[in-house]
Amino acid sequence: MGNNYKVKTAKQKPKLELKLRKPNIKKRRLSGGKPLKTGKPPDKRILSKAEQLLLRGFVSDLSNVRDDLGEKVRRQTDELKLKSGQLRHGADRQQRSDKRIQKQTDELKLKSGQLRHGAVRQLKSDEHIQILTQAIKSMTNGMFLIDVRKPNFLVVFSNAAFQTMTGYTERELLGRGYFSLRGAKADSGVVAEIKRTIRQGTHFRGEMLGFKRAGQQYWFQLRLAPVCSASGAITHYVGIQTDVTLMWQRDFEIKEQREELLHVTRVGKLAEFVSSLAHEISQPLTAILSYTNAAQRLLADREPQIREILQYINNDDIRATEVIRRLRSLLKRGEPEIKPLDMNALVKDTVVLMTTDATIRNTVLKIKFDARLPLINGDRIQLQQVLLNLISNSFDAMECGPEDRQILINTARRDRDTIAVTVKDTGCGIPTPNMPKLFSRFFTSKSDGLGMGLSISRSIVEGHGGRLDGTNNPGRGATFFFTLPIKQKPAP
Amino acid sequence: MSSIKKQIFIVDDDESVCRALNMLLITYGFNVMTFHTAEDFFNVVTKDTLGCLILDLHLPGLDGWGTQRRLNELGSKLPIVMISADKNEGLKERILKTGAAGFLQKPFHDNELMALINQGFESV
Repeated sequence: MGNNYKVKTAKQKPKLELKLRKPNIKKRRLSGGKPLKTGKPPDKRILSKAEQLLLRGFVSDLSNVRDDLGEKVRRQTDELKLKSGQLRHGADRQQRSDKRIQKQTDELKLKSGQLRHGAVRQLKSDEHIQILTQAIKSMTNGMFLIDVRKPNFLVVFSNAAFQTMTGYTERELLGRGYFSLRGAKADSGVVAEIKRTIRQGTHFRGEMLGFKRAGQQYWFQLRLAPVCSASGAITHYVGIQTDVTLMWQRDFEIKEQREELLHVTRVGKLAEFVSSLAHEISQPLTAILSYTNAAQRLLADREPQIREILQYINNDDIRATEVIRRLRSLLKRGEPEIKPLDMNALVKDTVVLMTTDATIRNTVLKIKFDARLPLINGDRIQLQQVLLNLISNSFDAMECGPEDRQILINTARRDRDTIAVTVKDTGCGIPTPNMPKLFSRFFTSKSDGLGMGLSISRSIVEGHGGRLDGTNNPGRGATFFFTLPIKQKPAP
Repeated sequence: MSSIKKQIFIVDDDESVCRALNMLLITYGFNVMTFHTAEDFFNVVTKDTLGCLILDLHLPGLDGWGTQRRLNELGSKLPIVMISADKNEGLKERILKTGAAGFLQKPFHDNELMALINQGFESV
C-alpha cells in the first residue's frame, strides 16, 4: 500500500513543476488547444507594490513548498530505494531459505526411505531368522550347539530330534555337559577323540554307539563343526546327529543273509565235491575189492599167508569205503524245502545281496520283471544259490574289462507250463572249446575255481524239474537261463 | 555148474573195474564180455541174446537208464544188475521199479554180486 502511495507521489513532482513553469499549457489543453481569449495580460506595473510584495511572497512560499516537496520526494525515493533493496535482499534470503528447506526435505525424504528400507530389511531378517529357527527345530536330524568356552562343553541349544534321540527334554539338556549325555558305557576312545577335535578346532565325523537316557543303545552318525564369533574365535560347536540304527540293522540283515547264502553255497560246493570225490574213489576201491576176491578164490586152499594178506587188503578197502560213506552222509545236501515261490521277489532279494559286490566291481545290475509271472514250487535257498552262482560268473566274465559292465536279469513266462529266468552279461563270453564242458564237475576256466558252480546249479534246477543252459550273445557277453515249471493249481 | 558157461556182459566206463569184475566172475565159471560204453554193447547184443548184464548207471553217452530203456524197446529179456558209485536216497527203489534184477552200490563183495546174478538168471 505504502509502495503505491510512494509511486504516486513520485509522479506528482513533474506535474507540479509543469504547472509552475508553464501555466498556459494547461489553459490551452482545457480550451481544446487554442489559446483562451482572456484580454490583455496583466501589466506588472499595474500591480500595486502590496500586490507585488504579496505575489513575491507567494512565489517564495511556492518555491519553499516546491523545495520541501522535492526534499520529501527525494527522501521518500531514498526510503523507497532502501526498502526496495531490503526487499530484494529479503527475497534473496527467502530464496536461500527455501533452497535449504528443500534440501532438508530431500534429506529427510532420503532418511525416511532409508528407515523404511531398514525396517523392511529388519522385518525380512526377523522372518528369515524365524524360518531358520523353525527349520532347525523341525529337522529330522538331531542338532545341538555346545559352548566350548565353558568347562564340560555345555549344551546351549538342542532341537526336537536331538531330544527324541537322546531321551532328554529341552530343559534337561540346557546347561548340561555334552559328554555326560553319552552314558557311562560310551566308547572312551571316541569321547577322547571328539574332545581332541574340539581342542584343535577342527571338524569331526564318525559313527558310534550311543545310549539314551533310559539306557537303550542306538547307532548314530555325528558331525561336529566349529562356530566362530565376529572376532574369529571359536566359541561354539554345532553338532548334527543322525540315527543310523535302522540302516545298520538293514545292512546287518543283508550281510547276514548273504553270509548264510554263501555258507550254504560253500557247504553245497563241498558236499558236491565230496560226492564227486567219493564217486571217483569208489571206482578203484571196487576194482581192488574185486581183484582180492578173485585172487582169494584163485588161491582157494593154497598159500595161506598170501590169502591172509589179501584179506587185510580187503578189510582196508572196506575201511576206506566206510570213511567215504560217513563223509558223504555228513555233507549230504539237506532235503529241499519246497514252497510256492514268487521268482520276481526271489530275484529282487538276491540282487540286493549282490549290490555291494556290483558296486565294488563297477557293474550295473538291471532287473526286468514280468509283472504277471505265476508262482513256482521250489526251494528258496537252492534257487537263490543258482542265481548267485550265475551272477557271480557274470561278474567274473566282466573282469576282461568291458567299458559298460552290465548284468540284466530278466524273468518271463516261457510257455503255458514254464517260466524262465535269464542272466545276460556284457562280459567276454564263453570260448567255443569250453562250451561242451560248461556243466561238467571240476571243469573251470578260473584260476581259483573248483568247477562246481554250474554243475551244482544244473543239478538244482533239474531237481526242480527245470533246465539250465548257457549261450554266447550275438554281440558281446553270454546269457545263462533256467526254466522252472509253474505251480499247478490244485484240481477242482 | 553146467558145462555150458553162462554169459555175463559188463558195461562200465572204468577200465579197472571192468578188468577186476571180469577176473572175479571168471573164477565163478562165467563167460564174460566187457564194454566201456553202452553203444559198444549194443553192437553185439540182439533181442535174443541170453545172459546177465552188469550195468553201470553213469556212463558217457547213453547212460544206465537209457540202456535199460533201449533193451526194453528191443524186447530183450536180459536180466540187469545195476551198479553205481553214487549214493542217493531212493535210488535203489527207482532202479528196482524199472524192472532191474538188483542194485549194488560200489564197492561190493563178491557174494553180494553173485546173489544178484543168480537171482537174475532165475528170473528169466
